[in-house]
Amino acid sequence: MLYSINWLKEYVDIEISPEELSERLTMAGLEVEECRKAEPSVKGVVTAEILKIEKHPNADRLTLCKVRSTGGEYSIVCGARNMKEGDKVALALPGARLPSGIAINKAKIRGIISEGMMCSEEELGLAQKSKGIMILPPDTPVGLDVAELLGLDDYVIDVAITPNRGDCLSIMGLAREIGAVTGSPFREISISVKEGAKDVGDYITVDLREPALCRRYTARVVEGVKVSDSPVWLKRRLELCGIRPINNVVDATNYVMLEMGQPLHAFDLEKLKGRTLVIRRAEKGETIKTIDGKERTLDEEMLLIADSEGPQAVAGVMGGEHSEVTEKTTTIVLESAWFEPSSVRKTSKKLSLSTDSSYRFERGVDIEAVGKALDRVAALVAELTGGKVAKGSIDIYPEKFTPCTISLKPERVERSIGIEVKKEEITEILRALSMRVEEKEGCLEVTPPSFRQDIKCEADLIEEVARLKGYDAIPLAMPVSTIKTRRPSPSFATRRKIASILTGQGFTEVINYSFISRQCFELCGDKDRPGVFIMNPLTEEQVVMRDMLLPSLIQNVQTNLTHKSSDLRLFECRAVFIPRDSGLPEEKWHVASVMYGGRMPAGWCQPEDGVDFYDAKGVVENLLRSLKVGGKISFERAEVSKMFHPGKSATIKVGDRECGIVGEIHPDVQEAFNLKKPVYGFELELETLVASIEKYPAFRQLPKFPESIRDVAFIVDENIPFAEIRDVVYNIDTKLIEKVELFDVYYGKGIPAGKRSLAIRITYRAQDRTLTFQEVEDIHSRVSKELERRFDATLRI
Amino acid sequence: MMKERLERLREELLGELKGVKNEAELLTIKKKYFGRKGPLASLIKELAKLPPSERRSTGEAINKVKKEIEDKIDALLSEYHQRAKQERLNKERIDVTLPGRRLPRGTLHPITQVLGEIEDIFLSLGFEIAEGPEVELDYYNFTALNIPPEHPARDMQDTFYIDKEILLRTHTSPVQIRVMEKQSPPLRVIAPGAVYRRDSDLTHTPMFHQVEGFMVDRAVSFADLKGVLTYFLRNLFGEKTAIRFRPSFFPFTEPSAEVDIECVMCGGKGCRVCKESGWLEVLGCGMIHPEVFRAVRYNPEEFTGFAFGLGIERITMLLYGIDDIRLFFENDIRFLSQF
Repeated sequence: MLYSINWLKEYVDIEISPEELSERLTMAGLEVEECRKAEPSVKGVVTAEILKIEKHPNADRLTLCKVRSTGGEYSIVCGARNMKEGDKVALALPGARLPSGIAINKAKIRGIISEGMMCSEEELGLAQKSKGIMILPPDTPVGLDVAELLGLDDYVIDVAITPNRGDCLSIMGLAREIGAVTGSPFREISISVKEGAKDVGDYITVDLREPALCRRYTARVVEGVKVSDSPVWLKRRLELCGIRPINNVVDATNYVMLEMGQPLHAFDLEKLKGRTLVIRRAEKGETIKTIDGKERTLDEEMLLIADSEGPQAVAGVMGGEHSEVTEKTTTIVLESAWFEPSSVRKTSKKLSLSTDSSYRFERGVDIEAVGKALDRVAALVAELTGGKVAKGSIDIYPEKFTPCTISLKPERVERSIGIEVKKEEITEILRALSMRVEEKEGCLEVTPPSFRQDIKCEADLIEEVARLKGYDAIPLAMPVSTIKTRRPSPSFATRRKIASILTGQGFTEVINYSFISRQCFELCGDKDRPGVFIMNPLTEEQVVMRDMLLPSLIQNVQTNLTHKSSDLRLFECRAVFIPRDSGLPEEKWHVASVMYGGRMPAGWCQPEDGVDFYDAKGVVENLLRSLKVGGKISFERAEVSKMFHPGKSATIKVGDRECGIVGEIHPDVQEAFNLKKPVYGFELELETLVASIEKYPAFRQLPKFPESIRDVAFIVDENIPFAEIRDVVYNIDTKLIEKVELFDVYYGKGIPAGKRSLAIRITYRAQDRTLTFQEVEDIHSRVSKELERRFDATLRI
Repeated sequence: MMKERLERLREELLGELKGVKNEAELLTIKKKYFGRKGPLASLIKELAKLPPSERRSTGEAINKVKKEIEDKIDALLSEYHQRAKQERLNKERIDVTLPGRRLPRGTLHPITQVLGEIEDIFLSLGFEIAEGPEVELDYYNFTALNIPPEHPARDMQDTFYIDKEILLRTHTSPVQIRVMEKQSPPLRVIAPGAVYRRDSDLTHTPMFHQVEGFMVDRAVSFADLKGVLTYFLRNLFGEKTAIRFRPSFFPFTEPSAEVDIECVMCGGKGCRVCKESGWLEVLGCGMIHPEVFRAVRYNPEEFTGFAFGLGIERITMLLYGIDDIRLFFENDIRFLSQF
């Protein structure tokens, strides 16, 4: 909220600079976000002395004055008569600005040039009405800036009021707080209402049907009002606090709201059918056109102010257009009430309509001050509009406010904030905050004022003490505590390790939003599968929580290509979300990666091959090995996912558990993202991996005897998976065959169609002796025979 | 007799070695004199013919000459090697300013890096790491944290909902509740993770990261909170960083504070980044509210505790001078590869 310093000064003396005040408030929990000098309302007006007064040669009612100021002597035509020669006056020179917005220029008045204007108090915004020009004290020096001299300069501070401090959402509220912080006394204002003879009850009746949602409703009537513009000073204050002036009645309600924090509303009495106000819940489907011109549909949870026919205001939120105060209005009903904060909030949320009024009601206004604010606004309206306040007020207040009393053990303050604060000091601080404090058996019995509804328990009081004492007064300490800390979970530790392995292999980590578009969601699986959908998404791009990471990564490839980055290796390690029948969705950690473009970065001495399936597979193999995933890792060609090329993808298994998929992204997906080259990628689910990690695999002795190496090349049907051949070979003698490695795959010349040539290198070794030549020959020929027998292989060597 | 021949041979050899011009000539000489049929070999053969009394001394003389000449040849050979190597070294020159042969280089996302640093600082203080679900129950995200339905504090955090009861967590604070429900004090825990708010503009992204931290024991006070957070912030931003704690409001802590550090851009003089205040808000904290303890059935008469939460994006932006939060989630490799 914006606060005018000059306005605050009406309630509390402020002897420090606005900057220092801002600092003090900030350090007391009222964060001042901005402190600025207000755009001056009076500019270019200087003090001057009247040297000579003559009659205007062409007009009887005007005078022609010779006036002296810093710039020399000026001829001024003047209509006032209250001045004499030698008087000190406020002279507006050409270019000057006055609060009414009048610009001063040199002008010919009845044939004589006037070089400026001598101002009245009204023209300077100092009084509502004034006669004649303003005469300054005789000892006023000539040539001073009048705005400065008269303290017309103002500062505005913007304070971020936390939701618990609704009581500070007013000039009076902040002034009270300033008083507590600086020690200056807070000045109450006295309010007196001049009432007419006719009773308020003769004008209007109020029927409060929902005392739970409206705990107090008060109203007054002012008749004979003349709706017009507000005076300059009032407009200026509203504007400084960020509210646009409308007319004197509406402005008065806004003024008192800013001043006292109580939202107020004015109805045009003539427009109220049955001359009655009913506070009731809306009926389902009931509508109201609010003063912003919008038609709004209400429901049974919303509280209304209605007349005998229909809604006239959404309680605490906004008034209706029908009974709005207009220029034709002559009699008004002023409302000051206390609406249940949660009810106002619900209504405001449902209508997506947040107003200065609803904002304050939600944060709780002072139920005890409702009547005071009503009197204040009635008096102000009468003053501004020339109306007359009817006798008495309506005040329906079925259940009076009862203050609560909280016990505070002084030693609890020390326990919480770490320093001792004496009972006397605590008492002093709380009393400065308008709390009643009594000592009872070593305990302080504290009664907060009605406007501090946020003070509910001992901790709240301790906070008040700490806040006003200042957090700077609390020393730094290091806690002493029993250590029973556990190390990070295996899942957490594995994720850190994965990140380091993959960055080491040249992958850059990305972080994508967890929500994706419907289109992306449909791309990576059955489009009707259940998903975790967001009820109130911000954009269409963010409607469903992802159950797979790869689509986001493919999108990243697309984005980067538009930036001309061509060779990409990206990975992401995040949670995915899978709905369950009820309750929270399952959250699983995944790691996914994509590769696109060249295998190596481009450069003068770099190979230019593009990545392929085996690059992606190699990364997975390396990753699993580095993580020390135990058990047999196998890849089986799969056609399970829409995301992948059916012939160039594989499921990844650890033992017999599937834990991921690797392959070329399906050309359909590639096209959908407008990518020129194929994308390769994998996605692994971490739970299985983490469970399969052998943290401390048993050490194997280094071999003591030499190995023998033999190669064999053969032609087989191209559809026989290499892994099958490798397993058969290895199983011929698992003791003597140490390694089976593929070193060549050949198609083409000399190889019949549908076949391929494979060349494998076998390492033979015994653990307990050097194998003889003959032994090796024997096993190796068994290998050849087995290849022929099992796979119908034709040996090439 | 033989000794004279030996001496002649020695002089002849030395003479020849003086005339040698290259390695090949040297090897020819070596072969000529030291071969099986060379003059030295025949001299040795003749030893047998000498009377035994002379045999020994003559043999020694032959060996001495042989050794002398061999050493000389070896010295010359090594000199030729050195010279040839030097010539090669003089010729071999490459442009060392050509770029090196590059392997693909990967980087961790700056958020992950800063999160890691923060985790490490707290691990060093004996905190443990806990995690909780990102899709969370309203109860854990709000109600148990003393934010009942229709409380205006819910405005501080505009929320994405899955249904009436389930939402995307708006802060990492629900982990506090989940941990306290399962474990009993003393507790020292941090909870890093992604959080979501329905807000997207120049300074807000709908997803961002926080670290929640809390400590509960029998005598934890606000002074401890100040001590721990000051230690943390000075570890992260530098030993001399000025820090201030200023009162604020969070429904789940009381007293509550916001913590500012001296502006890292202007050193506290006032600039655009700190809105001329000289201070930057980096985290929120406070003493855990008794209502929160009651929600997890801890006795507030027995235990006290502090809690804090900080936004990682903001801290990362300050550490690296990044001025646009959206860059973190655009995943532009030109951005990511800078870290």
